[in-house]
Amino acid sequence: MSDPEGSASENERPDGHRAEEAVETDAFPGESEEGESDRTPGEEREHLTEDVEKDDARKIVTGEARYTADYRDRFPDLAAGKVIRSDIAHGYVEAVDASEAEAMDGVYAVVTPWDDVVPDKAYSSSGQSYPEPSPWDMRVLREHVRFVGDPVAAVAARDAETADRAARKVTVEYEELEPVLDPERATDPDAPRIFDPDEVENKQSGADYERNLESRFEGEIGDVERAFERADDDRVVETEWETPYQSHCVPEPHTTIAYTDEDDRHSFITATQVPFHTRRQIAHLFDVPVRDVRVTKPRIGAGFGAKQEMAIEPIAFALHLAAERPVKLEMSRREEFYALRFRHPMRMRMKTAVSDDGRIEAMDLYTLSNAGAYGTHGMTVANNVGTKPLPLYPRVPNVRFEGDVVHTNLPMGAAMRGYGAPQGHFAVESHMDEVARRLDLDPVEFRERNAVREGDVDRSVAILKDGDRFTREIRSCGLRECIERGKEAIGYDETEQPDEDRLYRGVGMALLAQGSGVAGRELGAVRIRMNEDGSFHLQVGGVDTGTGADTMFGQIAAEVLGCHPDDIVVIASDTDLTPFDYGAYASSTTYISGEAVKEAAEEARERLLHWGAKMLDEPADRLATGGGEVYSEATGESVTLEDVGYEATYGHDEREQVLGDGSHSTDESPPPYGAQFVDVTVDEETGEYEINEMVFAADCGVAINPALVEGQIEGGEHMSLEYATSGGLEFDDEGNPEVLGFRQYGMPRTTDHPPMETIIVETHEPTGPFGAKSIAELPTNGVPPALSNAIRDAVGVRVTELPITADDVRAALDERDR
Amino acid sequence: MQIELELNGRQRTFDAAKSDVLLDVLRRNGYTGPKRGCDTGACGFCTVRIDGDPRMSCVTPVAKVDGASVETIEGLGDQNDLHPIQAAFVDNSALQCGFCIPGMIMRSKALLEENPDPTETEVREALSDNLCRCTGYKKIVEAVLDAADRMNGDAPMAADGGAGAVDCEAPPWSQGGGDTE
Repeated sequence: MSDPEGSASENERPDGHRAEEAVETDAFPGESEEGESDRTPGEEREHLTEDVEKDDARKIVTGEARYTADYRDRFPDLAAGKVIRSDIAHGYVEAVDASEAEAMDGVYAVVTPWDDVVPDKAYSSSGQSYPEPSPWDMRVLREHVRFVGDPVAAVAARDAETADRAARKVTVEYEELEPVLDPERATDPDAPRIFDPDEVENKQSGADYERNLESRFEGEIGDVERAFERADDDRVVETEWETPYQSHCVPEPHTTIAYTDEDDRHSFITATQVPFHTRRQIAHLFDVPVRDVRVTKPRIGAGFGAKQEMAIEPIAFALHLAAERPVKLEMSRREEFYALRFRHPMRMRMKTAVSDDGRIEAMDLYTLSNAGAYGTHGMTVANNVGTKPLPLYPRVPNVRFEGDVVHTNLPMGAAMRGYGAPQGHFAVESHMDEVARRLDLDPVEFRERNAVREGDVDRSVAILKDGDRFTREIRSCGLRECIERGKEAIGYDETEQPDEDRLYRGVGMALLAQGSGVAGRELGAVRIRMNEDGSFHLQVGGVDTGTGADTMFGQIAAEVLGCHPDDIVVIASDTDLTPFDYGAYASSTTYISGEAVKEAAEEARERLLHWGAKMLDEPADRLATGGGEVYSEATGESVTLEDVGYEATYGHDEREQVLGDGSHSTDESPPPYGAQFVDVTVDEETGEYEINEMVFAADCGVAINPALVEGQIEGGEHMSLEYATSGGLEFDDEGNPEVLGFRQYGMPRTTDHPPMETIIVETHEPTGPFGAKSIAELPTNGVPPALSNAIRDAVGVRVTELPITADDVRAALDERDR
Repeated sequence: MQIELELNGRQRTFDAAKSDVLLDVLRRNGYTGPKRGCDTGACGFCTVRIDGDPRMSCVTPVAKVDGASVETIEGLGDQNDLHPIQAAFVDNSALQCGFCIPGMIMRSKALLEENPDPTETEVREALSDNLCRCTGYKKIVEAVLDAADRMNGDAPMAADGGAGAVDCEAPPWSQGGGDTE
């Protein structure tokens, strides 16, 4: 087990929680005392800050957990689908000849862009709120193909093998067009045009499809130009950064089963993060009422944003309509690597001016995002390049942030864990380190001087918005404690250099921030109902993508209701059975859906107290719930929740189903904070480097389930490690993908991981459920800047492109020595 | 064609096509614990044991297992009576989405039968063909080391083979399984 403190026993409270803040209070009095005053005392928490067993853990380890493809036994006549994809990067489909495939034994249907069952409507696959802040630029099957992998046709057959064979017999004729592959060239006046402006509806801010521009945006606080003019030239630093494609490598490939049930309702069992958005989008696209669509999310093999997309459901549904039987569509790993969704590649420029006493006077950030072939999440991801990391420095008086989001004939970027913040943090946090070193300041002290504190008013998060509705006050911030404890854990002040002459060791740090949901664009809802035995059904729209959200929901409900988490049956993410929820994205689930659970539980608790008052003959305001009872502290009398359940359900005079509803939305999105440390040894002759250790210290408010929080941090660091060291996609000069499987893609294995230490710094966020903020995305932001900074510390050179290879380091060393 | 094999200790006969791989036949017959992740033997989600050896069932032609002994995750413990490796994964929170876990556990079982007291490095090497996207592998490696202790009787097992901290007097981090790094 991970025990960052080494000896657990000293730090334990009677309730088993490590009282980390208690031992740290002396070291950081200012920081801790402020947090402490808000904090719910540990002994009042029965089921929070506890490593409650993940509610699906046992069925996972026994192989009984059912993911979408495991539901095949429910459908005796289930057909298998296969998609025929464009093998050119840009052009028009002139003809599809499916006659040979259609004649094959066991083939039920072939659909093309011209079929009646295939909608000819523009839409966005982005699983976002309505109307999506993404252009409607897609068709279900595509006559105008824009990248190698665009879906052109699809087959349904009796099994996957027959569908594969039939798909290979479908021939497609194209009129080929010149592709655009370089994002720097995409906006040239003579570049081939990827979209006819008429092909796009719901265009986004700054769109100019004559120039392959999906969006252009800018925002400014203060006067950045003037600040640069007034600053000394030697205290103005400008840097450039570049990041590659990254694959989600989602364990369970996109999979969906589409069928129509005996009540003529269109139903999906599907691997999605966004059941309710998918329901709405299917209804709009196929012109059927929302109420006649049902989307059920079973266990899903993770999402990471790849499944914040209606990527394959419409094709499965069209096949189902044509084949007149249930259809399962399951992506291959090869398709995942070239045809589905990715993290947007970007090129960024950052410029700052620093005063003589080390204050940042101005920050100017520009990003060029390569959206690839379609605009799903294109603008919003690029927005987050600035609006996530710039709020690390909210007291900087002059800030500008601009971006261009351009189309190319390459795979489309989309939502991916971090959502622009990993790119932005690489630019901002490597830049800040570079600034400090060039000005001969300690990079950590420079950060501590300028970084966010509790009580700051953060306007940079809303720099792209009009008005001050989304300007936020920072109510919880444990960043300095993250820095101090991270420094201590990595041994920041006592780095020993290796004996060998060519080896140099260095330590780098990056500060990190994220959000907790999309401010002003979230809604989560919950219903709790009591059973007569004192247990509860918790119906929650929130989506557990494997993170343990269902467990966290149960802990919050149990804490309020005063029962054990085992007495809560969580029913989640089925558009027929649960209240609405926007879905699992933007680190919203604990903060938004979790708060809705708390509200519902509080409403149900009022009714428990009503019944307790009746049964104990005491006023409700003198009663409390806990330990499976409604009790009176004054008299010591109590009734069990089971007694309450039976009395409420079968009582003689009066009966009531104890219910509670919660519906939560807010303009708040408090940032969780973190500090990533990387300790590296660099070989000055070869440029090879080895990461000796990584430490991550996180302030996510109150960690409702610390073991699950640690899991989020360690998994996020894994993705971040890949982004820093080994990820990326390659294409040839015609836009053909060259990375098509795990063997070519650099996903880190057990043997590639350095030792990792995880530190949870507790703060209390007053707007979150029991003080919680978010954690899931924060740790994907840290390794690239921390590693770049560590290499700079070790050998004095700066690497500005990801992934960082030995060749890059070597080239930078050669440049240094020239 | 028909394939006869010993599956989780029972003699079974399955209909199969020549082109089928073992994973197809297992999943078609209700053994959906092994997961399909890549179809190329590159992710390890479909790992089963064939005559004791860990194998990727997605690249094993079914004809090759005719007469063999095959063990899948379904052959281990059930939810109320977990195998020590399963219990260690639960107690160490060594799982998130779970898609890689059946393969990871089968690989771990093969390791621990061959090497009952592995070092952390040996665990990492043994699991290096099995990918996990959620955990960063840290808790998985800790779980396998903990499982080794449990199977060797070195560590107290949670009473019911995997209880969470809530039911335990002492939380998992204060139990013997903690000294694994």
